Amino acid sequence: MSSLGERVNVLGPQPIFERFATPPAMLAAAGRILSLMAAGDAEALAGMATAAGAAELAAVAAAVRPGVYDRHEIIATARLNYHHYVKARLYGPRAEPFTLQFRLGEESGEWRVWEAINLTGRRGAWTR
Amino acid sequence: MERMIAVDRLARPDNHILAPLERMFQARVDQGFSPTNVMPHEEDFLKGRLHGIAVGEMQAMEAAGRTLFDFPDAPWEFQLDMARQVWDESRHAEIFIKLLEYVGSYLGEFPETEVLWSCTQIDDPACRVAGINRGLEGLACDVFEQIIRLAQRMGDEVIERAVDYVLADEITHVRMGSKWMRKLTEGDPERLKKAQDFQDNIDNLFNFQGGRTAQEASPQVPIEVGGRAIDFDSTLTIAREARILAGFTDDEIERLLKAASRSAAY
Repeated sequence: MSSLGERVNVLGPQPIFERFATPPAMLAAAGRILSLMAAGDAEALAGMATAAGAAELAAVAAAVRPGVYDRHEIIATARLNYHHYVKARLYGPRAEPFTLQFRLGEESGEWRVWEAINLTGRRGAWTR
Repeated sequence: MERMIAVDRLARPDNHILAPLERMFQARVDQGFSPTNVMPHEEDFLKGRLHGIAVGEMQAMEAAGRTLFDFPDAPWEFQLDMARQVWDESRHAEIFIKLLEYVGSYLGEFPETEVLWSCTQIDDPACRVAGINRGLEGLACDVFEQIIRLAQRMGDEVIERAVDYVLADEITHVRMGSKWMRKLTEGDPERLKKAQDFQDNIDNLFNFQGGRTAQEASPQVPIEVGGRAIDFDSTLTIAREARILAGFTDDEIERLLKAASRSAAY
Protein backbone atom coordinates (compact mmCIF):
# COMPACT_ATOMS: atom_id res chain seq x y z
CA MET A 1 0.00 0.00 0.00
CA SER A 2 1.22 3.49 -0.74
CA SER A 3 2.40 5.55 2.19
CA LEU A 4 -0.15 7.78 3.84
CA GLY A 5 2.58 10.38 4.31
CA GLU A 6 5.02 11.38 7.00
CA ARG A 7 3.09 10.90 10.20
CA VAL A 8 5.33 13.24 12.15
CA ASN A 9 4.16 16.08 9.89
CA VAL A 10 0.52 15.30 10.56
CA LEU A 11 -1.42 16.74 13.45
CA GLY A 12 -3.26 14.28 15.62
CA PRO A 13 -2.50 10.87 17.09
CA GLN A 14 0.81 9.26 16.23
CA PRO A 15 1.34 5.48 15.92
CA ILE A 16 1.35 3.79 19.31
CA PHE A 17 3.25 0.62 18.32
CA GLU A 18 6.30 -0.13 16.20
CA ARG A 19 5.97 -1.76 12.81
CA PHE A 20 7.01 -5.40 12.59
CA ALA A 21 10.27 -5.71 10.66
CA THR A 22 10.21 -8.45 8.02
CA PRO A 23 13.09 -10.81 8.93
CA PRO A 24 15.98 -10.40 6.44
CA ALA A 25 16.81 -14.11 6.85
CA MET A 26 13.30 -14.99 5.66
CA LEU A 27 13.68 -12.77 2.59
CA ALA A 28 17.09 -14.31 1.89
CA ALA A 29 15.59 -17.81 2.09
CA ALA A 30 12.80 -16.76 -0.27
CA GLY A 31 15.37 -15.43 -2.74
CA ARG A 32 17.31 -18.70 -2.55
CA ILE A 33 14.16 -20.73 -3.20
CA LEU A 34 13.35 -18.63 -6.26
CA SER A 35 16.89 -19.05 -7.60
CA LEU A 36 16.71 -22.82 -7.11
CA MET A 37 13.32 -22.87 -8.87
CA ALA A 38 14.70 -21.03 -11.85
CA ALA A 39 17.70 -23.36 -11.94
CA GLY A 40 15.46 -26.44 -11.73
CA ASP A 41 17.34 -27.79 -8.71
CA ALA A 42 14.61 -30.03 -7.31
CA GLU A 43 16.92 -31.77 -4.84
CA ALA A 44 18.11 -28.59 -3.16
CA LEU A 45 14.54 -27.29 -3.10
CA ALA A 46 13.33 -30.49 -1.39
CA GLY A 47 15.85 -29.75 1.36
CA MET A 48 14.13 -26.43 1.99
CA ALA A 49 10.64 -27.87 2.50
CA THR A 50 8.98 -29.22 5.61
CA ALA A 51 7.36 -32.65 5.43
CA ALA A 52 3.98 -30.89 5.13
CA GLY A 53 5.08 -28.65 2.27
CA ALA A 54 7.31 -31.03 0.30
CA ALA A 55 4.72 -32.32 -2.17
CA GLU A 56 3.31 -28.88 -2.99
CA LEU A 57 6.76 -27.35 -3.43
CA ALA A 58 7.81 -30.24 -5.70
CA ALA A 59 4.65 -29.80 -7.79
CA VAL A 60 5.30 -26.08 -8.24
CA ALA A 61 8.98 -26.71 -9.04
CA ALA A 62 8.00 -29.33 -11.64
CA ALA A 63 5.91 -26.70 -13.44
CA VAL A 64 8.93 -24.40 -13.86
CA ARG A 65 10.90 -25.02 -17.07
CA PRO A 66 14.57 -25.03 -16.05
CA GLY A 67 16.92 -22.52 -17.65
CA VAL A 68 14.12 -20.32 -18.94
CA TYR A 69 13.99 -17.75 -16.15
CA ASP A 70 16.92 -15.53 -15.28
CA ARG A 71 15.56 -13.18 -12.64
CA HIS A 72 12.94 -13.05 -9.96
CA GLU A 73 10.98 -10.52 -7.96
CA ILE A 74 9.23 -10.75 -4.62
CA ILE A 75 5.91 -9.01 -5.25
CA ALA A 76 4.50 -9.13 -1.74
CA THR A 77 4.92 -10.63 1.68
CA ALA A 78 2.37 -11.00 4.46
CA ARG A 79 2.79 -12.60 7.84
CA LEU A 80 0.57 -14.82 9.91
CA ASN A 81 1.98 -14.93 13.43
CA TYR A 82 5.59 -16.01 12.77
CA HIS A 83 5.10 -17.52 9.31
CA HIS A 84 5.35 -15.45 6.15
CA TYR A 85 3.55 -15.75 2.85
CA VAL A 86 5.68 -14.75 -0.13
CA LYS A 87 4.21 -13.99 -3.56
CA ALA A 88 6.88 -13.90 -6.26
CA ARG A 89 7.41 -13.98 -9.99
CA LEU A 90 10.11 -15.49 -12.19
CA TYR A 91 11.01 -13.71 -15.43
CA GLY A 92 12.83 -14.83 -18.55
CA PRO A 93 13.48 -13.18 -21.92
CA ARG A 94 11.53 -15.74 -23.91
CA ALA A 95 8.87 -16.92 -21.48
CA GLU A 96 5.71 -15.71 -19.86
CA PRO A 97 6.31 -14.79 -16.19
CA PHE A 98 5.80 -17.60 -13.67
CA THR A 99 3.94 -16.55 -10.51
CA LEU A 100 3.95 -18.52 -7.28
CA GLN A 101 3.10 -18.10 -3.61
CA PHE A 102 4.61 -19.98 -0.71
CA ARG A 103 4.62 -19.89 3.07
CA LEU A 104 7.88 -19.82 4.98
CA GLY A 105 8.29 -20.63 8.65
CA GLU A 106 11.24 -21.50 10.84
CA GLU A 107 11.84 -25.15 11.64
CA SER A 108 14.93 -26.14 13.61
CA GLY A 109 16.42 -22.70 13.02
CA GLU A 110 16.00 -22.85 9.22
CA TRP A 111 13.40 -21.07 7.07
CA ARG A 112 11.45 -23.78 5.27
CA VAL A 113 8.45 -23.99 2.92
CA TRP A 114 5.22 -25.16 4.56
CA GLU A 115 2.97 -24.72 1.54
CA ALA A 116 3.29 -23.61 -2.06
CA ILE A 117 0.94 -22.82 -4.92
CA ASN A 118 1.42 -22.03 -8.59
CA LEU A 119 -0.46 -18.81 -9.34
CA THR A 120 0.54 -18.52 -13.01
CA GLY A 121 -2.50 -17.56 -15.04
CA ARG A 122 -4.61 -17.20 -11.92
CA ARG A 123 -5.93 -14.16 -10.14
CA GLY A 124 -4.96 -15.26 -6.65
CA ALA A 125 -4.71 -18.09 -4.19
CA TRP A 126 -8.47 -18.05 -3.74
CA THR A 127 -8.81 -19.90 -7.04
CA ARG A 128 -9.12 -23.51 -6.04
CA MET B 1 -20.40 -6.42 -16.54
CA GLU B 2 -20.95 -9.88 -15.13
CA ARG B 3 -23.63 -10.62 -12.53
CA MET B 4 -23.24 -13.23 -9.78
CA ILE B 5 -19.46 -13.28 -10.05
CA ALA B 6 -17.66 -16.26 -8.55
CA VAL B 7 -15.83 -16.14 -5.24
CA ASP B 8 -12.40 -16.30 -6.84
CA ARG B 9 -13.04 -13.35 -9.15
CA LEU B 10 -12.82 -10.56 -6.60
CA ALA B 11 -10.31 -8.02 -7.87
CA ARG B 12 -7.27 -7.24 -5.76
CA PRO B 13 -3.95 -5.57 -6.61
CA ASP B 14 -1.15 -7.86 -7.72
CA ASN B 15 0.86 -7.08 -4.59
CA HIS B 16 -1.88 -8.32 -2.28
CA ILE B 17 -1.66 -11.75 -0.67
CA LEU B 18 -4.83 -13.83 -0.60
CA ALA B 19 -5.21 -17.19 1.12
CA PRO B 20 -8.22 -19.44 1.66
CA LEU B 21 -9.40 -19.50 5.28
CA GLU B 22 -8.68 -23.20 5.79
CA ARG B 23 -5.07 -22.66 4.68
CA MET B 24 -4.66 -19.81 7.14
CA PHE B 25 -6.08 -21.94 9.93
CA GLN B 26 -3.62 -24.70 8.98
CA ALA B 27 -0.80 -22.15 9.06
CA ARG B 28 -1.79 -21.27 12.62
CA VAL B 29 -1.97 -24.94 13.63
CA ASP B 30 1.52 -25.45 12.15
CA GLN B 31 2.74 -22.79 14.61
CA GLY B 32 0.93 -24.22 17.62
CA PHE B 33 -2.00 -21.79 17.58
CA SER B 34 -5.73 -22.59 17.52
CA PRO B 35 -7.42 -23.09 14.11
CA THR B 36 -9.28 -19.79 14.47
CA ASN B 37 -8.76 -16.13 13.82
CA VAL B 38 -6.22 -14.39 16.05
CA MET B 39 -7.36 -14.72 19.66
CA PRO B 40 -7.50 -11.85 22.21
CA HIS B 41 -4.64 -13.17 24.35
CA GLU B 42 -2.18 -13.31 21.43
CA GLU B 43 0.54 -10.73 20.92
CA ASP B 44 -0.78 -9.91 17.42
CA PHE B 45 -4.42 -9.52 18.43
CA LEU B 46 -4.88 -5.79 17.91
CA LYS B 47 -2.95 -5.58 14.63
CA GLY B 48 -4.35 -8.84 13.28
CA ARG B 49 -7.91 -8.11 14.28
CA LEU B 50 -7.90 -4.55 12.93
CA HIS B 51 -6.41 -5.88 9.69
CA GLY B 52 -9.12 -8.54 9.43
CA ILE B 53 -11.75 -5.86 9.94
CA ALA B 54 -10.18 -3.50 7.36
CA VAL B 55 -10.30 -6.15 4.62
CA GLY B 56 -13.70 -7.28 5.94
CA GLU B 57 -15.01 -3.74 5.46
CA MET B 58 -13.66 -3.76 1.90
CA GLN B 59 -15.43 -7.05 1.23
CA ALA B 60 -18.61 -5.76 2.89
CA MET B 61 -18.49 -2.72 0.60
CA GLU B 62 -18.05 -5.01 -2.40
CA ALA B 63 -20.81 -7.33 -1.18
CA ALA B 64 -23.35 -4.51 -0.83
CA GLY B 65 -22.35 -3.12 -4.23
CA ARG B 66 -22.65 -6.56 -5.71
CA THR B 67 -26.13 -7.01 -4.22
CA LEU B 68 -27.19 -3.67 -5.67
CA PHE B 69 -25.93 -4.71 -9.11
CA ASP B 70 -27.07 -8.35 -9.04
CA PHE B 71 -30.74 -7.60 -8.32
CA PRO B 72 -31.86 -4.74 -10.58
CA ASP B 73 -35.53 -5.69 -10.11
CA ALA B 74 -35.45 -5.39 -6.31
CA PRO B 75 -37.52 -2.54 -4.78
CA TRP B 76 -36.05 0.93 -5.21
CA GLU B 77 -35.85 1.45 -1.43
CA PHE B 78 -33.83 -1.78 -1.14
CA GLN B 79 -31.41 -0.50 -3.75
CA LEU B 80 -31.12 2.83 -1.92
CA ASP B 81 -30.30 1.00 1.35
CA MET B 82 -27.63 -1.10 -0.40
CA ALA B 83 -26.14 2.02 -2.00
CA ARG B 84 -26.04 3.69 1.40
CA GLN B 85 -24.32 0.64 2.82
CA VAL B 86 -21.63 0.77 0.11
CA TRP B 87 -20.93 4.35 1.18
CA ASP B 88 -20.85 3.39 4.88
CA GLU B 89 -18.51 0.44 4.32
CA SER B 90 -16.12 2.48 2.20
CA ARG B 91 -15.87 5.00 5.02
CA HIS B 92 -15.31 2.16 7.50
CA ALA B 93 -12.54 0.71 5.34
CA GLU B 94 -10.79 4.09 5.40
CA ILE B 95 -11.19 4.36 9.16
CA PHE B 96 -9.70 0.92 9.75
CA ILE B 97 -6.84 1.48 7.32
CA LYS B 98 -5.97 4.58 9.37
CA LEU B 99 -6.35 2.65 12.62
CA LEU B 100 -3.93 0.06 11.23
CA GLU B 101 -1.34 2.76 10.78
CA TYR B 102 -2.10 4.00 14.28
CA VAL B 103 -1.21 0.59 15.76
CA GLY B 104 1.96 0.26 13.64
CA SER B 105 0.49 -1.94 10.94
CA TYR B 106 -0.56 -1.41 7.32
CA LEU B 107 -2.95 -2.89 4.78
CA GLY B 108 -1.25 -6.03 3.48
CA GLU B 109 0.74 -6.90 6.61
CA PHE B 110 -1.43 -10.01 6.95
CA PRO B 111 -3.03 -12.14 4.24
CA GLU B 112 -6.66 -11.62 3.28
CA THR B 113 -9.10 -14.53 3.28
CA GLU B 114 -12.12 -15.03 1.08
CA VAL B 115 -14.44 -16.03 3.88
CA LEU B 116 -16.64 -12.93 4.08
CA TRP B 117 -16.92 -12.55 0.33
CA SER B 118 -17.76 -16.24 -0.03
CA CYS B 119 -20.84 -15.60 2.10
CA THR B 120 -22.28 -13.55 -0.77
CA GLN B 121 -22.49 -16.58 -3.07
CA ILE B 122 -26.26 -16.85 -3.16
CA ASP B 123 -28.74 -15.67 -5.77
CA ASP B 124 -31.64 -14.50 -3.59
CA PRO B 125 -31.55 -10.93 -2.19
CA ALA B 126 -33.41 -12.07 0.94
CA CYS B 127 -30.66 -14.61 1.66
CA ARG B 128 -28.00 -12.02 0.88
CA VAL B 129 -29.30 -9.57 3.47
CA ALA B 130 -29.92 -12.37 5.97
CA GLY B 131 -26.36 -13.64 5.57
CA ILE B 132 -24.49 -10.38 5.15
CA ASN B 133 -26.52 -7.84 7.12
CA ARG B 134 -27.75 -10.10 9.89
CA GLY B 135 -25.05 -12.80 10.00
CA LEU B 136 -21.85 -10.93 9.18
CA GLU B 137 -22.83 -7.49 10.46
CA GLY B 138 -24.09 -9.15 13.64
CA LEU B 139 -20.66 -10.72 13.97
CA ALA B 140 -19.16 -7.26 13.42
CA CYS B 141 -21.19 -5.99 16.41
CA ASP B 142 -19.53 -8.70 18.55
CA VAL B 143 -16.04 -7.99 17.26
CA PHE B 144 -16.32 -4.22 17.60
CA GLU B 145 -17.74 -4.36 21.11
CA GLN B 146 -14.74 -6.46 22.17
CA ILE B 147 -12.25 -4.06 20.62
CA ILE B 148 -13.98 -1.10 22.28
CA ARG B 149 -13.63 -2.81 25.67
CA LEU B 150 -9.98 -3.62 24.96
CA ALA B 151 -9.34 0.03 24.03
CA GLN B 152 -11.07 1.13 27.25
CA ARG B 153 -8.80 -1.14 29.30
CA MET B 154 -5.80 0.23 27.40
CA GLY B 155 -7.01 3.79 28.02
CA ASP B 156 -6.91 4.45 24.26
CA GLU B 157 -9.66 6.86 23.23
CA VAL B 158 -8.65 6.92 19.55
CA ILE B 159 -9.47 3.24 18.99
CA GLU B 160 -12.42 3.31 21.38
CA ARG B 161 -14.15 6.23 19.67
CA ALA B 162 -13.31 5.27 16.08
CA VAL B 163 -14.68 1.75 16.52
CA ASP B 164 -17.72 2.97 18.44
CA TYR B 165 -18.51 5.28 15.52
CA VAL B 166 -18.38 2.35 13.10
CA LEU B 167 -20.40 0.11 15.45
CA ALA B 168 -23.26 2.63 15.31
CA ASP B 169 -23.42 2.12 11.53
CA GLU B 170 -23.24 -1.67 11.79
CA ILE B 171 -26.25 -1.63 14.09
CA THR B 172 -28.23 0.18 11.39
CA HIS B 173 -27.03 -2.38 8.81
CA VAL B 174 -28.35 -5.26 10.89
CA ARG B 175 -31.69 -3.48 11.28
CA MET B 176 -31.76 -2.87 7.53
CA GLY B 177 -31.10 -6.58 6.95
CA SER B 178 -33.91 -7.62 9.31
CA LYS B 179 -36.32 -5.24 7.60
CA TRP B 180 -35.53 -6.48 4.07
CA MET B 181 -35.35 -10.15 5.00
CA ARG B 182 -38.94 -9.86 6.24
CA LYS B 183 -40.23 -7.58 3.45
CA LEU B 184 -38.75 -9.62 0.62
CA THR B 185 -40.17 -12.86 2.01
CA GLU B 186 -43.61 -11.53 2.97
CA GLY B 187 -46.22 -14.26 2.37
CA ASP B 188 -43.54 -16.78 1.44
CA PRO B 189 -42.57 -18.76 4.57
CA GLU B 190 -40.43 -21.16 2.56
CA ARG B 191 -38.29 -18.31 1.26
CA LEU B 192 -38.02 -16.83 4.76
CA LYS B 193 -36.85 -20.19 6.10
CA LYS B 194 -34.26 -20.44 3.33
CA ALA B 195 -32.95 -16.97 4.26
CA GLN B 196 -32.83 -17.83 7.98
CA ASP B 197 -31.06 -21.12 7.23
CA PHE B 198 -28.49 -19.26 5.16
CA GLN B 199 -27.87 -16.90 8.09
CA ASP B 200 -27.61 -19.88 10.49
CA ASN B 201 -24.96 -21.44 8.26
CA ILE B 202 -22.95 -18.23 8.41
CA ASP B 203 -23.38 -17.92 12.19
CA ASN B 204 -22.14 -21.50 12.55
CA LEU B 205 -19.17 -20.81 10.31
CA PHE B 206 -18.00 -18.22 12.83
CA ASN B 207 -18.44 -20.24 15.99
CA PHE B 208 -14.73 -21.02 15.94
CA GLN B 209 -15.12 -24.39 17.62
CA GLY B 210 -15.99 -22.98 21.00
CA GLY B 211 -13.59 -20.05 20.79
CA ARG B 212 -16.66 -17.79 21.28
CA THR B 213 -18.54 -17.22 24.51
CA ALA B 214 -20.87 -14.68 26.05
CA GLN B 215 -18.97 -11.57 27.09
CA GLU B 216 -19.62 -12.20 30.79
CA ALA B 217 -18.48 -15.84 30.48
CA SER B 218 -15.11 -15.12 28.93
CA PRO B 219 -12.31 -16.05 31.36
CA GLN B 220 -10.04 -13.07 31.97
CA VAL B 221 -6.35 -13.66 31.40
CA PRO B 222 -3.36 -11.35 31.79
CA ILE B 223 -2.15 -9.94 28.47
CA GLU B 224 0.36 -7.30 27.50
CA VAL B 225 -0.62 -4.59 25.03
CA GLY B 226 2.02 -2.04 24.11
CA GLY B 227 4.06 -2.84 27.20
CA ARG B 228 1.06 -2.43 29.50
CA ALA B 229 -0.26 -5.43 31.47
CA ILE B 230 -4.04 -5.78 31.60
CA ASP B 231 -6.55 -8.55 32.15
CA PHE B 232 -8.70 -9.33 29.14
CA ASP B 233 -10.96 -11.91 27.47
CA SER B 234 -9.48 -15.25 26.49
CA THR B 235 -12.28 -15.89 23.97
CA LEU B 236 -14.03 -14.07 21.14
CA THR B 237 -17.20 -12.73 22.72
CA ILE B 238 -20.83 -12.36 21.70
CA ALA B 239 -22.10 -8.85 22.45
CA ARG B 240 -25.62 -9.23 23.81
CA GLU B 241 -26.26 -5.53 24.37
CA ALA B 242 -25.08 -4.43 20.91
CA ARG B 243 -27.07 -7.24 19.30
CA ILE B 244 -30.23 -6.18 21.16
CA LEU B 245 -29.68 -2.60 19.96
CA ALA B 246 -29.36 -4.02 16.45
CA GLY B 247 -32.74 -5.69 16.79
CA PHE B 248 -31.79 -9.33 17.39
CA THR B 249 -34.31 -11.04 19.65
CA ASP B 250 -33.34 -12.71 22.93
CA ASP B 251 -34.18 -16.05 21.32
CA GLU B 252 -31.79 -15.42 18.45
CA ILE B 253 -28.99 -14.45 20.84
CA GLU B 254 -29.63 -17.50 23.02
CA ARG B 255 -29.52 -19.73 19.94
CA LEU B 256 -26.18 -18.25 18.96
CA LEU B 257 -24.78 -18.78 22.47
CA LYS B 258 -26.04 -22.36 22.56
CA ALA B 259 -24.49 -23.11 19.18
CA ALA B 260 -21.18 -21.69 20.40
CA SER B 261 -21.22 -23.85 23.53
CA ARG B 262 -22.13 -26.95 21.47
CA SER B 263 -19.07 -26.32 19.35
CA ALA B 264 -16.90 -26.21 22.47
CA ALA B 265 -17.98 -29.73 23.38
CA TYR B 266 -16.76 -31.19 20.11
